[in-house]
Amino acid sequence: MQILKHKTNIDFISKRKPALFISTLINLAIIVGIAAVGFNFGVDFAGGTVVELKYNTPTTAEQVREKAQAGGLHDVSVQGVGAAEENSFLLRMGGVTQLTEENAERAKTAIQGLGETRNVYADMANGIVNFRSTQPMSPEAVKKAVEGAGIGVQEVRDLGANQGGTGYDYQVVASGMADKVFAALGAGLDKPNFEQRRVDYVGPQVGKQLRNRGIMALLYSMVAILIYVAFRFDFKFGPGALLAMVHDVIMVAGYYLVSRREFNLTSIAALLTIVGYSVNDTIVIYDRIREDMVKYKGKALPEIINIAVNDTLGRTILTSGVTALSLIGLLIFGVGEIFDFAMAMLVGILVGTYSSVYIASPLVIWLDERAHAREGHSGAKQEPKTA
Amino acid sequence: MDRGWWWKFGMIVAVTLGTLWFLVPTYYSLVVLDRNERNNIAVLEQRLPAWAPPAKYRLNLGLDLQGGIHMVMRVDTKTALQKRTERRGQQIATYVNDKKLGEVTADTDPERLQLTLTAKDPATMDAIQKEVLATFTDFSLESRNGGTLVLKPDEGQVNRFRDEAVDQAMLVIRRRIDKWGVAEVDVRKLGTDSIQISLPGRSNPEQAKELVGTTAQLEFRMVDDTNPQVFAQMYQQNPPPAESKITLVEDEGFPQLSSPNREALLAYAKDKTPEGRDVVTECVANPVKKNDCIAYRSYLLDKNVPLTGESLSGADASVSQMNEPEVNIAFDPAGAREFEKLTEAAVGRRMAIVLDDNVHTAPRINEKIGGGRARITMGRAGARSFEEWLGEAQTLALVLKAGALPAPVTVGEIRQVGATLGDELIKKGSLAALVGLALVVVFMAIYYRKSGLIADVALLLNGLLILAGLAFFNATLTLPGIAGFVLTLGIAVDANVLINERIREELSHGKSARAAVDQGYDRAFWTIFDAHVTTLIAGFILFFTGTGPVRGFATTLIVGLLASLFTSIVVTRVITTYFVHGRNAQSVSV
Repeated sequence: MQILKHKTNIDFISKRKPALFISTLINLAIIVGIAAVGFNFGVDFAGGTVVELKYNTPTTAEQVREKAQAGGLHDVSVQGVGAAEENSFLLRMGGVTQLTEENAERAKTAIQGLGETRNVYADMANGIVNFRSTQPMSPEAVKKAVEGAGIGVQEVRDLGANQGGTGYDYQVVASGMADKVFAALGAGLDKPNFEQRRVDYVGPQVGKQLRNRGIMALLYSMVAILIYVAFRFDFKFGPGALLAMVHDVIMVAGYYLVSRREFNLTSIAALLTIVGYSVNDTIVIYDRIREDMVKYKGKALPEIINIAVNDTLGRTILTSGVTALSLIGLLIFGVGEIFDFAMAMLVGILVGTYSSVYIASPLVIWLDERAHAREGHSGAKQEPKTA
Repeated sequence: MDRGWWWKFGMIVAVTLGTLWFLVPTYYSLVVLDRNERNNIAVLEQRLPAWAPPAKYRLNLGLDLQGGIHMVMRVDTKTALQKRTERRGQQIATYVNDKKLGEVTADTDPERLQLTLTAKDPATMDAIQKEVLATFTDFSLESRNGGTLVLKPDEGQVNRFRDEAVDQAMLVIRRRIDKWGVAEVDVRKLGTDSIQISLPGRSNPEQAKELVGTTAQLEFRMVDDTNPQVFAQMYQQNPPPAESKITLVEDEGFPQLSSPNREALLAYAKDKTPEGRDVVTECVANPVKKNDCIAYRSYLLDKNVPLTGESLSGADASVSQMNEPEVNIAFDPAGAREFEKLTEAAVGRRMAIVLDDNVHTAPRINEKIGGGRARITMGRAGARSFEEWLGEAQTLALVLKAGALPAPVTVGEIRQVGATLGDELIKKGSLAALVGLALVVVFMAIYYRKSGLIADVALLLNGLLILAGLAFFNATLTLPGIAGFVLTLGIAVDANVLINERIREELSHGKSARAAVDQGYDRAFWTIFDAHVTTLIAGFILFFTGTGPVRGFATTLIVGLLASLFTSIVVTRVITTYFVHGRNAQSVSV
């Protein structure tokens, strides 16, 4: 069997300018979109709490939302997971602990009502209120007072007398949001009528750390791949491979931007896989270009590239097709993150194939022309233009 | 067939058999064993046939696939550093006043961790500055403004302190989780100030958070030695049930109860404990794996707690003049008075150092100890090496400090997956992978005929190699890992496509079957190599910078790419060579 019955002879290179123009336009639009609208960051990066519940009885997202609001949870988003008869819901909240700006103020007032206190300050990131009291206090009393103000307390830590002898230090640790969710949804029931399937808390600092590490991983791998390509091939191949990579990553980022699917650690994995795939595809075509440059010494570079791209076209289509085929299972049976991953990969495979032909290869011509032009300026003899 | 071919063929057969052999523990742990015994390495070890590889070489399922809790706790080193700076400031002030250099007050800037010394008489500041900087070398001068001196803690000291705080927290967390009796816990350091904890099979994140997140409780309690035979009598009058595995052992002349099961030991002793006393256990550490307890031993302690860790101001391990490791501890003034009173009344008795309800050590009090400084000598080296004793002393110092200097831990991240969701995900995930694999296998066989079948054989071996490789590295299979598995199979197929397309091309140029195959492989080799290496680079960077699920994905990718290089370049070529050269075929089926 054969996909392309006859040897193709498509003139890819002559269409490079409109292709580059359109690609650049889309890329810029995505970058502007990311800057203006931003991703739909998952808890991995944004921080916060996600709770997945499965109800034993038929329930709608609307009912869950009403119940949550009745229980005092106002900034919760409720979303159904899977088929309607599964009765599974994803609840998302911004905070990790019950300490919000507003709650912290109430906690402070409650603590100050207990006696002479100083240095009352809230560590919002960790959900802790620190304070120093002139008299020793009973942690139970502190806990009761703060809970009286409507904030769940996990623990009151007695840090002991301060060394200067000026007081006693305490920390009030607020409970997690998941606690509040279960309390709100289970209110008025002997036994909750739902099963807690998944709970994710990610603190805001950790989220920021994870995000930075993800971005750094992306940059590092691009640089490493650039070095490898420049070393294995020629310098003029490097930038093309890099640009194609950047192009593909932006396109897949565009998928996450437009689809509003959650951008999380798995998305970073998807972007990185695309980097690998994109360069994989580019290398195969570069290899052929290099081989043909030796084979057809007299021909101009654009012509050689056309021959190389056409010769490898069968394999390019086939490889993309087969890799896409291996993703079909994930697309059909994958849920949540895995589905998103497969979808992003599919987008990546398509743009990766396109970019190896239309982005990576033309850039080699451009760099080659520039190299010749420079030689022409510095050298005495003018080389014939290759384009 | 030439010799070289037979060598290669033999190697492939050996690799295939080795791969299957390596997957035996994985097969037993995932298929043969009950789900609730999946993580029990001892049971697995028993069930495994004698010829199988050790049970530790098995593929673990990630918490996202089997259910459990993954936590990242952040050690609040900032609070600990603030406290430390405050304490040092107080020491400096006392030192200056004692030396009659002048009178200073110390203030700490909690944000920048700086220490400000203000002299009552600015004229004395020159002398104070000189003396303080010479004595307290862990501080350097930040700025000086008349009668105020701003000191900055030394970077190296701060880092060491931070590391120590994280080590202390890890030690405490480890002990607490052991108390909970969770098998296969994994506690490890993550970055500079975080600790990662995996609790397979657990489902209550709030309880886990509470268990791990509370500050350590250190107590000094007296051992009741009035009746040294108390445990021996208990054992004889009321023999414990066999399943509790309680035995009577003797340690330095004191009979103790010992059992590998802490709960059983405590349950047995509970209603037999004399009034006003508590039975508290000591962990007998595994000599190989320091953080594991192989048994728990009983101590009878007085119920009242005369002194807690709050009275401690410091602890350090050192080596005495007799060349014995020792731990020096210091109490704050109130603690020092209490300690003196306590030791005076209890000369000759043993005092237990209890951290989180675990007896850490119970040294004998040799004399009344005044002045707020005490020394716990670790004794002579004996059967254990000096390093081991010193290590013990350092651990004890850490334990004491953990109680003395609370570096609170807070939740950075908790991910909990219920067992049913985990089961569902593994079912869907493996189904997805199998469907993807089946589609590719069928497609290749149709498109490339015999060569396609050869590629399929290589592909299946590739899949097995990935699993065996993951088992060898004791890696964990996560949901993104399954996605990585599928992707690598795609890349492996790409390599075969490249080769087969090349062979077709060579054939279309009118080359003979042999020449086409040889040239096809030779030409495709570097392309495949470059393509794999570049993806491998991405994989390695992902592995070193990623955490959790991303890392699982990277591991699968790396193992998969290496396997793919082997199968697509070596395995398919050996088989194809057999059909083309060995059979002396005139055509090649691609």
